[in-house]
Amino acid sequence: MRTLIVGLGNPILGDDGVGWRIAQSLQENVALPPDVEVICLALGGISLMEALVGYERVILVDSITTHRAPNGTVTLHKLAEFENPAYGHMSSAHDTSLQNALKIGRELGAQLPEEIMVVAIEAEKVYDFSEELTPTVAAAIPKSVEMIQKILSTGNPSNPHDTDHAYN
Amino acid sequence: MQRISIDPITRLEGHGKIDIFLDDEGNFANSYFQIPELRGFERFCVGRQVEEVPILTNRICGVCPEAHHMAGAKAVDAVYHVDPPRTAKMLRELLYMAFYCTDHTTHFYALAGPDFIIGPDAPVAERNILGVIHKVGLEIGGKVIQMRKYGHTVIEMIGGRKVHPCTSIPGGLTKGITKEQREEIEKMGRWAIEFAQFSLQVFNDIVLGNKGYVDLILGDIYTHHTHYIGLVDDNNKVNFYDGKVSVVDPEGKRLGKYAPNEYTEWIAEHVEPWTYLKFPYLKKVGWKGFIDGKESGVYMATPLSRLNAADGMATPLAQAEYEKFYSTLGGKPVHQRLAIHWARLIELLYAAERWVELATDPEITSDNFRTLPTEKPTEGVGIVEAPRGTLTHHYTTDERGVTTKVNLIVGTTNNYAALQMSTKKAAQNLIKKGTPVTEGMLNMVEMAFRAYDPCFGCATHSLPGQMPLEVSIHDVNGKIINVLKQNC
Repeated sequence: MRTLIVGLGNPILGDDGVGWRIAQSLQENVALPPDVEVICLALGGISLMEALVGYERVILVDSITTHRAPNGTVTLHKLAEFENPAYGHMSSAHDTSLQNALKIGRELGAQLPEEIMVVAIEAEKVYDFSEELTPTVAAAIPKSVEMIQKILSTGNPSNPHDTDHAYN
Repeated sequence: MQRISIDPITRLEGHGKIDIFLDDEGNFANSYFQIPELRGFERFCVGRQVEEVPILTNRICGVCPEAHHMAGAKAVDAVYHVDPPRTAKMLRELLYMAFYCTDHTTHFYALAGPDFIIGPDAPVAERNILGVIHKVGLEIGGKVIQMRKYGHTVIEMIGGRKVHPCTSIPGGLTKGITKEQREEIEKMGRWAIEFAQFSLQVFNDIVLGNKGYVDLILGDIYTHHTHYIGLVDDNNKVNFYDGKVSVVDPEGKRLGKYAPNEYTEWIAEHVEPWTYLKFPYLKKVGWKGFIDGKESGVYMATPLSRLNAADGMATPLAQAEYEKFYSTLGGKPVHQRLAIHWARLIELLYAAERWVELATDPEITSDNFRTLPTEKPTEGVGIVEAPRGTLTHHYTTDERGVTTKVNLIVGTTNNYAALQMSTKKAAQNLIKKGTPVTEGMLNMVEMAFRAYDPCFGCATHSLPGQMPLEVSIHDVNGKIINVLKQNC
């Protein structure tokens, strides 16, 4: 299955760079199947959608701020679980949400993955300029890599919210 | 006193929000448009090898990394006292034209489009790019995506990467382009010209063909008489990559032009206690407060400003549109802020035409794309026109080329005073005693600043993405008496 793993975030905004670091760890330390590609992106909305064209399966890896779990908690979600933030007002002044962008792409006939999984790492320090991760978030890198390897070897988990997939 | 807060989430520059204060009777009292600071980005860039800064500033924002890369590259050239060869300048400008085409396209169809094509009062769930595509036709979405694809392709060919270019170095570029790439770039540029003409036709049919929209554009709510600035070439034609910054007064009289290294003689910053961000103003005119007119140093730097500050466009098709623009809107300068959207499309056409001009220059495929710096690094300023305003990068280094000071005046910052005035005027005109504050009304206040294409930076997307909009109404004691939420 042609798979794309996307490390998302901004590498100079502290823990927001965790997605990149996980992607880089996968590239450097894991022997991936030939149909799996890994990239790092600082994109959203339409640009991110454009990067996903042609893949059958996509795993986004990004920081998440829910304030409902300790920093460094790794969880697995489906993109469809997240609310679509792009309605009306300028939730982004220059773009639309990834969900809307995917709808546009599909309506235009682009080959986009049916399901997009999200490996999310709870983090709070995502607004401060730094190239370093906080220790608790950095500790999530091996757990996240392990989770992604499990997804790659077993296919899409039927219930992403299964507690088996929450790594604390 | 009551407070209404329009508070969208943003990233690098933090929250941008509008607080509207009502008096005890429910009438408009005042409003404040807050854009918090850049959160120490300039400090973060100090102590680094200066040639690294154009790559770092790429990360300020996911919207216009190309603009920061270009302003940074020019500043680094100046730091090293090196003049890149003609081919390098042309290649950088070519990349920049491709970027302009993608950025202006996205703005018009994803941001301005919903207001004008769907309508400012349309149901909130329809007022987005999907709604635009459904209303105008599916093929329009395909064209938008195609335009973006072509733009990204050129950016990658010259800039090394699709989004965050990395090939500009002191004195030029790390690589040139092949003859085959040139041919492909030219072909895509010719398509871009047709697309820009198509977009102007859409604007003509849907916006100018609707009296309600024309009245909205020409109405007083969205009009301010300020100074305007914009980069121009030697013939005083609009230029995005190089030249001097032209400054005109509210009557259109040119006060002068400044070179990048003269910017501190022209621009000063005013501080207000209620916001972290400073308000740039014209030093030679002086700060007189948030007021219109020749005596006020408030200026604007947007597509409309660039057209107002120049004598015309440097390419024929864009020049014809420029002339139509001013003849339709009653002469120069145009002060109606919503006309920025139209000006942006004229710039789109210029960028596409310039793209082809550069792609067909015989020297564009030359191998002479770098001049090796030989001078000791000191200090330098680089200015380009970012899509949303004049962008200034100023770096100072020690003799090793390590930065000791970095100052950035980003596009939106230029417009801060004008944005404050525009949002205040719109709120003042729309929010009245006894009239319920509706979502459509708040959208019309937002339209006042959306025209400026404000950039609050959003290179990152820590999930769950953007926070929903929340409108809080406070009573005189600060107690929340009502909260309007969207999709929370």
